[in-house]
Amino acid sequence: MNTQLLTTRPEVRRSSRGAVNPFKGQHRRRLLRADLLTVLFWASLAGAVALWLADGGAAGFSTPAGAFTALGIVAGLAGMDLVLVMLLLAARIPLIDQTVGHDRALEFHRKLGKPALYLLLAHGILIAIGYGMTEGLDPVSEAVNLWVQVPDMWLAYISMLLFIAVVVTSLVAVRRRFPYEFWYAVHLLTYAAVLTAIPHQFSVGGLFAPGTWQRWYWLAACIGTGAALLHNRVLEPIVATTRHKLTVSRVVKVAPGVVSIEMTGRHLDELTGTGGRFFIWRFLAPGMWWHPHPFSLSAEPLQLGASGSLRITVRNLGSGSSQLVRLKRGTRVAIEGPYGLFSTAARSRNHVVMIGAGIGITPIRALLESTPFTSGNATVILRGHSEKELYLGKEILDLCQRRGATLYHLTGRRPDGVETWLPAEAARSGYRLASYAPHLLEADVYVCGPAAWAQNVLKDARAAGVREDQLHYERFDW
Amino acid sequence: MRIRAAVSATLASVGILLVGWQSGSHVSPTAGSSIGTSAGTAGSTGKSAATGGASGNSSGASSSGAASGTGTTGTAGSTATTSSGAATGSGSGTYAGSVSQTRYGNVQVQITVSGGKITDVTALQLTDEDRRSVAISSEAAPLLRDEVLQAQSANVQTISGATVTSDGYLSSLQAALDAAKL
Amino acid sequence: MQPSSELGGSALKARTFDSMGTVVSLTVPAGALPRTAGGAELDELDEAAAAVERVFAGFDETFSLYRPDSEASRLARGELSLRKASAGMRDRYADALSWRLMTEGAFSPERPDGVLDLSGIIKGYAIRQAGEVLRGRGITDWCLNAGGDVLVMGSPVPGTGAAWAAGVVDPQDRAALLSAYELGGTGPRQALATSGSAERGDHIWTAGAGGTEFTQVSVAAADIVTADVLATAIVAGGTAMLHRATDGWEIDVLAVRRDGELLATPGFRA
Repeated sequence: MNTQLLTTRPEVRRSSRGAVNPFKGQHRRRLLRADLLTVLFWASLAGAVALWLADGGAAGFSTPAGAFTALGIVAGLAGMDLVLVMLLLAARIPLIDQTVGHDRALEFHRKLGKPALYLLLAHGILIAIGYGMTEGLDPVSEAVNLWVQVPDMWLAYISMLLFIAVVVTSLVAVRRRFPYEFWYAVHLLTYAAVLTAIPHQFSVGGLFAPGTWQRWYWLAACIGTGAALLHNRVLEPIVATTRHKLTVSRVVKVAPGVVSIEMTGRHLDELTGTGGRFFIWRFLAPGMWWHPHPFSLSAEPLQLGASGSLRITVRNLGSGSSQLVRLKRGTRVAIEGPYGLFSTAARSRNHVVMIGAGIGITPIRALLESTPFTSGNATVILRGHSEKELYLGKEILDLCQRRGATLYHLTGRRPDGVETWLPAEAARSGYRLASYAPHLLEADVYVCGPAAWAQNVLKDARAAGVREDQLHYERFDW
Repeated sequence: MRIRAAVSATLASVGILLVGWQSGSHVSPTAGSSIGTSAGTAGSTGKSAATGGASGNSSGASSSGAASGTGTTGTAGSTATTSSGAATGSGSGTYAGSVSQTRYGNVQVQITVSGGKITDVTALQLTDEDRRSVAISSEAAPLLRDEVLQAQSANVQTISGATVTSDGYLSSLQAALDAAKL
Repeated sequence: MQPSSELGGSALKARTFDSMGTVVSLTVPAGALPRTAGGAELDELDEAAAAVERVFAGFDETFSLYRPDSEASRLARGELSLRKASAGMRDRYADALSWRLMTEGAFSPERPDGVLDLSGIIKGYAIRQAGEVLRGRGITDWCLNAGGDVLVMGSPVPGTGAAWAAGVVDPQDRAALLSAYELGGTGPRQALATSGSAERGDHIWTAGAGGTEFTQVSVAAADIVTADVLATAIVAGGTAMLHRATDGWEIDVLAVRRDGELLATPGFRA
């Protein structure tokens, strides 16, 4: 084992004591927004139920049949509300993205999938029972009855089947790692499921009858969600693509299977500070244009005069990325973004610790370039099986040197049977995250790498006493 | 979830439900139970532990007593009597440092200086007085690559380099030399 | 088992083994070994190498932080206080602290988290003691290389006073040599140690604020521990530490700056 060198740097001590934290205001505002979003979420759920209460729905509980029907209606309202929330979470709304980040928004989106489905199933079953009891029919006959006799109900049945299909396949797809395309196609079905569910909500039952204010509220919720999706996922990307006019200028091999793709474009100064955030890229070449790639910037955007440049660094991961190696100069690029909170916008403390593994090192490189810190207040930890896997290592060393960050290279295999993010030797020697970053508790911790590895880093950080709002991580395995 | 969010979300939800219920109660004042608005348990108020102050640089404190203090040295060779402690003169003797406190207990360090050079650091005491009084024997100066002694691996018997791991040894120059001598 | 390296008519023989996470090589000139009664010369080489290996294993057992049952690990976990630690452990700790004082903090026995880590000086001590063992066996011409840190005695051509030639790796091309240094023979320096700012295989380097000016530093000294510690300290402490080291110790230094520029004391000049 080698010597652990300590570089003497007295200026660190001085600057860390009683220094003004420039991120305090930004952090406070972000926490406030997060709380606001939480309140909005619960309020929307309560609001959905309140619609029905305001209509005197609670009176239904006077009879058993009415109680079933009432619960069924409440379940349906709450279920639809969750579905709308899920769509909003996936709509890449800037307020949500800049408050909790894309990854945490999607995490919450996934978490809501099952409750939403259960509520919708309960809605169907309880209504069939309730209506059936009122009419003296068993639930199955009543269900058939509804299908045949009530307009728009057949659409609702299709919707239910689609919802079941979507949730089941996304659970399976996540576990089995189906290709991105499959997962994408399944998610398109969600729109069909939502659209086919809407008609019966307005035509069946009296709650949203024409002339009621509830009708307007519900219409506004549905249309607002649709508009947010359309604006952020269709219009904004078209605007960004035509405004920046990106074209591939160079593809540089960084390591075996890893390339840096450099692009030139216009108005890139508007993207300043986005280093580390990700875009969804579509390379407009035959056979590739339909394939969206989520990649983080590996350098801060640069604008010199009329034209600027962007860079991403990618590894040949799936069927889609392998073609990227052969990208031709001049290929036009459509973008959506920037998204995510892997940027200075998430900073809350004076110190910063950046940890990247494998290709997850590349957004760390960009973040290191731009995020503010006093010399000595930053620690960068790069993890890979070998030095060769520490992509952009030379650039990162130079940046650390120039900006005064402490850099560690951790290479070597994981120990067998032990849950750790460290190489075997370091793990056996009892090293932990705090060993490398003595100021861990006063730092923002950025983690980017494969999900299982990142979870181990986060666990280490939490065990050291790092608070949840100091942790910023980006999934990097899709 | 943070406490503030949990409390506000609960209040807002309950408020909305109550308003809904009230406005619907003229139709029927039946007790309607609200759907779960409880916000789950709130996370504990962050315990910001005092920062781990123990980190490595304690040396600054411990060395300051010993180092660079005595400017009075000079190479006055004539006063040959070697008084103990901070001796001037030819720079020979043994010097004891103050006790420094470390997290592993109190440690005292001592060095032996002979002819102005540190020759031993055996015991548990130290000062480094007098080191500056030593004539500079060899100063490092910039030079070009072809100004250093040139060598090829063919005519050296061993190789010095930054530590090679067991894994890296096989591809090192030293391995090639060793292989030739088996 | 064919001697294939010829040097002035005398062939060299080598044995290697793994220890302390690196490979240790023992090289002796053929014919320099005292023959054991009835034994062949190569048996004596194998026995000497085994004795050296035992020395390294002993140090590793006590001081290795990656053996959970080692004394160093128990100390790091707080199960053992330094007062109750073995005399060897206390001595090495005192040595490490004195080195920290003498290098004004550039060399430290503690990791950033404050855990005691003596691995920085232990390799040097292991090499030094292995040298004593070899001398004790009556071997007076040998070269010991532990992961790039070298200690020699005598000459590769016994009786001639010729020095051992030690190559210094070029940090920019690890398959090439940057320079050479003559150790042993009739000269005053027997030890040569090299430290890098990018040492391999480990939780590797600190490029801190005001940090590593040098990518590699080699120090030649009479003693391997001094050479090893000062090389490490100069990497950490930069030019200021380099001058303090050449002022205070009888050493030769070859330092490689990040831009490739060299700094060297006269001993490394052609």
